[in-house]
Amino acid sequence: MSETKKYIQSLFTQNQIPVKVNRSKLFEEFTNAAQNISAVNTIKENQDMLKKNWNIQNKVADIMDKQLIIPNGSVNKPYEVTLDFIKAGFNGLKYTAFEGLDKYGLCYNSETQTISGTPTESGDFKIAFQFRIEEEQNDSALNNKTISLVINADPKSLWKEIASDQDKDDAWKAANYWKPDRANDFAGLGTKHLVVASNRGRSHANVGSYRDDDYAFSFLEPVGWSIVCVADGAGSSSFSRKGSRLACDGVIEYFRDNLSAEMLDQFDIDLKQYHEGPNEEASKRISFFVYDNLSKAALYAHKKIEDFAVKTERPVKDFHSTLIFSLYKKYDFGYAILTFGVGDCPIAVINKDLTEVKLMNWLDVGEFGGGTRFITMPEIFTSDKFSTRFGFKLIDDFAYLFMMTDGIYDPKFVVEANLDKMEKWKGFIADLKGENEDNAKVNFSADNNAIANELSAWMDFWSPGNHDDRTLAVIF
Amino acid sequence: MRKLPVYLLLDTSGSMSGEPIEAVKNGVQIMIGSLRQNPQAIETAFISVITFDSTAQQIIPLTDLASFQMVDIKATGVTALGDALKLVASKIDSEVAKTTTEQKGDWKPLVFIMTDGIPTDNWQAGLTEFKKRKTAFTVACAAGSGADTSILKQITDNVVSLDTADSTSIGKFFLWVTASIGVSSSKVEEAGKEVQGLNELPPPPAELNIVV
Repeated sequence: MSETKKYIQSLFTQNQIPVKVNRSKLFEEFTNAAQNISAVNTIKENQDMLKKNWNIQNKVADIMDKQLIIPNGSVNKPYEVTLDFIKAGFNGLKYTAFEGLDKYGLCYNSETQTISGTPTESGDFKIAFQFRIEEEQNDSALNNKTISLVINADPKSLWKEIASDQDKDDAWKAANYWKPDRANDFAGLGTKHLVVASNRGRSHANVGSYRDDDYAFSFLEPVGWSIVCVADGAGSSSFSRKGSRLACDGVIEYFRDNLSAEMLDQFDIDLKQYHEGPNEEASKRISFFVYDNLSKAALYAHKKIEDFAVKTERPVKDFHSTLIFSLYKKYDFGYAILTFGVGDCPIAVINKDLTEVKLMNWLDVGEFGGGTRFITMPEIFTSDKFSTRFGFKLIDDFAYLFMMTDGIYDPKFVVEANLDKMEKWKGFIADLKGENEDNAKVNFSADNNAIANELSAWMDFWSPGNHDDRTLAVIF
Repeated sequence: MRKLPVYLLLDTSGSMSGEPIEAVKNGVQIMIGSLRQNPQAIETAFISVITFDSTAQQIIPLTDLASFQMVDIKATGVTALGDALKLVASKIDSEVAKTTTEQKGDWKPLVFIMTDGIPTDNWQAGLTEFKKRKTAFTVACAAGSGADTSILKQITDNVVSLDTADSTSIGKFFLWVTASIGVSSSKVEEAGKEVQGLNELPPPPAELNIVV
């Protein structure tokens, strides 16, 4: 029986059209007629086409329903991603392409199914994924699926650099406790040299607010002692920039007015005895001298801020600032170094051979951060830990005495435990001397006139999540 | 680098289907896009999405903003808020680094909860687990009149409510969440400490009622 006849018989049965026995010859002729054979063939072809097309559309819809996740890129960062279509549930693809990638600096290789390039523009983009599945004709219209492509901005480009009212007149600046966004100094200080720089952090630059850090230094000629102070105004206090300034100035002022040669006579003798060998009495007197004088200076700084707060009718906490200061003097038998610290700014002395570090203070850091203490807090003076805030060291000579705010300490040392490790300090010194990705270097030479600017430039290093003000004083 | 972890606990129960769930998806997308433009947030904020319907599921683990990709969410089932609280507690344990002498831990997490209904599971058990974890702050948002603010008040002091769970209100809530994450990320960077409560966050828009 012919295929055509079978088809027509089944069609008639389905439609309850009987073919009587006496019409079987006619039916035979009917099924053999060229026109009818052609009609059946056309029907069958159309049915096949419908099945095939449904199959194609079904598979395409499966792909349309699924999510193709393309990892996010970043501007100026080389990007290369090989797509795994099978894993995404995209089966039976025979042609793939992307439209619009070139606009963002990317291209697609269909052989390797790889998107690569260096993104040029940031944003949330929609790109067209074009494909054909195996069942489709090679010349059929492409299927289009819209896919999200996220290109992140270069984080550095997101930070704004808004100047902090430097064009205002002096009276305005004084009234608003303005200070320059960047400050630095280089000076001979006693028998050593001091280079110090203080840069406004990116988080302040981003909103045009002021630098909260500060520093001050002085050589007290009559007595031969040098003083260096570094202070970090609290980010959450509105006038801490003034607090840090007052704290530094207060300490210098105190020692300038109070440290006299007569007071130092006995101390000089005690230091000599201490150097000559264990001497309990001398040790005790030294400790007392350090405690007595440095605590008075710290209290003086505290009072100075407190008085200022009263005068300006603001709460003292508006002026919160940390404070560290160091005094040093060269004797025949070596350097005496005296320190005080409140807050989270370290003071460290590195010996001449770069083999030993002495951390002069402990840091006020809490378990969850933010546990720092300020010179503006009266309770620090009555706390039983107060006496441990002082440091004393007698050393033949030293290569560096470092004082820094947490803007340097956080990115470079991360945790307090690292401050005791000489290898971390060696790394830090190497970093200062140019071992860093920016090749920024500070040439620690007494006749390098560019040193202060070198230090400022070095302090612009990039460290994600660390955009606080940065102050670093190096005595060498 | 210290992460600022942000957990979003989103109600995807059946009652959220339609406009509310679309508004939530949209809200998260806009939030991520906007935070990506914030230099402090993109460096510190890490976002995780936990959805809860008949069970809770962490659909996006704690992920930095630069690589964050939102996945599709659908509304179905009931409201297993307790399960979600239990899940976020265990994720805080496994995803948030603690401070040791060798490393600086992450910042305390921010938790935002959004629900339009009443918990259908044993939420007190989940809450007990959750309360054992330290967060910088937790904000709960009651979307529409179906939510019970008195239950949310037991989870956190910081409860806000939306009169209706429509796309405008939900959109405003996410804008405020965005601003709050922005403020928190700049605070940890500048002041070195976390935001402690609602009063340190940007003022909520008019659509958000503060529940006292």
